[in-house]
Amino acid sequence: MKPFDIVVVGGGGAGLYAAMEAMKTNPSLNIAVLSKVYPNRSHTSAAQGGANAALANKAKDDTVEMHVFDTIKGSDYLADQDAAEVLCSEAPKIIRELDNIGTPWSRMDDKTIAQRPFGGAGRPRCCYCADKTGHTILQTLYEQCLRKGVFFFNEYFVLNLSVHDSRLKGLIAMNMQTGKIEAFPARTVIFATGGYAKMYWNRSSNAAGNSGDGQAIAYRAGIPLKDMEFVQFHPTGLRKSGLLVTEGARGEGGYLINSEGERFMSRYAPEKMELGPRDLVSRSIETEILEGRGFDSPAGQCMHLDLTHLGEELIKSRLPQIREMSMYFEGVDPIEEPIPIRPTAHYSMGGIDTDIFGRTPMDGVYAAGEAACVSVHGANRLGGNSLLEILVFGRIAGHTAAEEAHRFEPGEISPAEVQSSEEKLRELMKPSGHYERYGALREELGQTLALNVGIFREASKIEKGIADIRELKERFTHVRVFDTSDVFNTNLFQVLELQNMLDLAETVAEGAAVREESRGSHTRTDFPKRDDEKWHKHTTYTYVGGRPQIGEKPVTMGKYELQERTY
Amino acid sequence: MGEHKEEMRDVTFRITRFNPQVDNKPYFDDYTIPVEKGITVLRALNYIKEHVDATVTFRAFCQAGICGSCGMRINGISKLACTTQVWDELPRCRVPNVVKVEPLRNMPLVKDLIVDMDPMVDKMKHYANWVESVMPEERMGEKEFLIAEEEFQQYDKATDCILCASCMSECSILRANKEYVGPAILLKSQRMNVDSRDGIHDKRMAALVKDHGVWDCTHCYRCQETCVKSIPIMDAIHGVREDALVSRGVKDTSGAKHAEAFMEDLPKKGKLVEATLPIRTNGMVWTLKNLLPMAFKMIIKRRTPPPPPLVKPAKGLKKFREEFNEMSEHIKRDRKENQ
Repeated sequence: MKPFDIVVVGGGGAGLYAAMEAMKTNPSLNIAVLSKVYPNRSHTSAAQGGANAALANKAKDDTVEMHVFDTIKGSDYLADQDAAEVLCSEAPKIIRELDNIGTPWSRMDDKTIAQRPFGGAGRPRCCYCADKTGHTILQTLYEQCLRKGVFFFNEYFVLNLSVHDSRLKGLIAMNMQTGKIEAFPARTVIFATGGYAKMYWNRSSNAAGNSGDGQAIAYRAGIPLKDMEFVQFHPTGLRKSGLLVTEGARGEGGYLINSEGERFMSRYAPEKMELGPRDLVSRSIETEILEGRGFDSPAGQCMHLDLTHLGEELIKSRLPQIREMSMYFEGVDPIEEPIPIRPTAHYSMGGIDTDIFGRTPMDGVYAAGEAACVSVHGANRLGGNSLLEILVFGRIAGHTAAEEAHRFEPGEISPAEVQSSEEKLRELMKPSGHYERYGALREELGQTLALNVGIFREASKIEKGIADIRELKERFTHVRVFDTSDVFNTNLFQVLELQNMLDLAETVAEGAAVREESRGSHTRTDFPKRDDEKWHKHTTYTYVGGRPQIGEKPVTMGKYELQERTY
Repeated sequence: MGEHKEEMRDVTFRITRFNPQVDNKPYFDDYTIPVEKGITVLRALNYIKEHVDATVTFRAFCQAGICGSCGMRINGISKLACTTQVWDELPRCRVPNVVKVEPLRNMPLVKDLIVDMDPMVDKMKHYANWVESVMPEERMGEKEFLIAEEEFQQYDKATDCILCASCMSECSILRANKEYVGPAILLKSQRMNVDSRDGIHDKRMAALVKDHGVWDCTHCYRCQETCVKSIPIMDAIHGVREDALVSRGVKDTSGAKHAEAFMEDLPKKGKLVEATLPIRTNGMVWTLKNLLPMAFKMIIKRRTPPPPPLVKPAKGLKKFREEFNEMSEHIKRDRKENQ
């Protein structure tokens, strides 16, 4: 195959924006987008709430500086301040640009883009389209990429990077529809593969495929990961399925109620109440449950999210998807009765280590969106900042790669290299020595993570978690792919996703063990305080001998001093 | 509180199987599994894949009804597996307790429950299903368009579409003609056409009125009935048609001429003059070439419609004419006001 100037891996918001911007930067470049799902299926579509930008349409006194401050405070001061500056100052421009190319933002009476309050934000600055914001953004970007003639390889599963002497040569991927393994020699690769929170399996709001493929592939190719221990639990997952009820439901005025009928957030965040930051609200719910004030249910203890006082009209116009989901998956109509919820693993703050231009430490390799860790979210992400991040940094990574592509020569990927990838896969299909079922391993991984490396963590539990993950990795060597066919072998893809999740789970758990403090989403009951002296720094993870070697990196500071974080 | 047990029962899933490397044509496999009340068809499929037969193949991603991956036919109707409760399907089973699960129709079958989505994407491209902004690229990001709530309302519902292709699968025209534009594409086209930010309305419209375009729809309403997001797709299709008549007049296609012929007959006779309808719609040459054999058969079976002079005016024609004229005037006035 002819070498590509840029191969974007992943067709969600970050990947599509990167492709679009790269074409705009240099239309003569040969750009491809590889995605394991049709781009319009990507998990960006599930983002309901909105994207933050200090447009000052709603609160006239809102400023970029306030947005930066909220982001840094929300991150528990682990965000790099230069990155947060970029994120927030680019925000108004990118929201307007999306409007200019057709995103159907909800409007206010004065015809400007509507904004609503969101957790941890000092002003109502979350721009939205009802509760389908991510979906409409993704559709708009996909439409624009089709318009511009971006070259899509839909339903391609990336197996590994091809690297020689720490230099990128390209990547190797499987055409899912034919089973053929193909080499993609490339000057640059942009990873935009989304997050890894699906490793919590049934206790996760994520799509089935959010297995951190890009992070795992980069990690195994020698590119460091960063801040992996930080996994955000969203306070309001549906009780049975873990599926998400948007923060917009609380933004519109929903109450959190315990079994004593009390709006318990008054004890934990008297000022912000339900609109406290996510880590705080999740911990509060978990504490209420631990102290015996949860509602009993067959799927475990839960809290109630009460929208009934908002009225039928508002629920139908502003939160129609939430209503639909509550009815489909819980059998509850939020107009009539409260929605049973509990915290669910939702977002991974950690990811591939990148600078503010989207570059990873390996020449020619870039990353953006949830797959990357710049870091703008630090130890805890604010609602409405993730859609913003994929847009802003997707665009930046696309721009940087387009500017820098000419500096790198595409390598040759030998047929032998392709064949060796293929043999590894064939090995998984052999009956002898292969007897484990991937479904059981996947479920056990989720269970041990939720139990031992979940919202509340402590040394002994984390050790148990690490031991479990190592055992699961050992068992994985005996996993069997029962489907031996070439065409659309989903059995094989699910096994490969499990492998990616297992490698990343080890970094999450080991990171949780070394960070002996509580910061943002990472709460150690044995170290309940934030420890700036020892731990105001990023953790990094390098793949050495099949295991993560943990290192550290300083946090980039700016005009905001460290402060205690209260709401 | 005591342990609460949900209702359980054994349910059989009759699933289409097809591996193009081995099979000449699709067949069914039956899987009987224990199902708890409250379980979706997708979760049942996941159970079968994990515990019974790992080779059963289907697409699924978000599992929350928003990504559109798991469109398939369940008991004969196209819908999303992730939002369909098994319990709701049980009363709809033709064979008691056997839920039939088949791939979407009207798209090439890849394997088991997976069909090729590329034809739909190709149509999105062909019919320019995007906003081509009236704002020049170099000025983008500077300021937002001002858009009234009324305009937003015009396309709000259409932007719910997740391209699951259920409507494409149910469409009776696509079944006969794979080149037909299809309901999802018409819906998206209308959504773009009414967006004031878009500058290529006329170009899009020119493609939509050609052969296999908007005039081929027969208003069977199956797209709208099946839509998993309850989008009034037929309203959008009617919108494209009205738009075509207003913006382009009645000149383009057989479909438009067909509509014109209706308008010609109705005020005269109060009903259709069917004998000459094909000639007025498709022209003499086409009619002789395509309909002559059928005309002979109709004559033999004495089923020919009467020639124009013998078509008797409908009863109550006078009152009908009055109302017809009043309506026509009304439409003319509306159009003038909108211009």
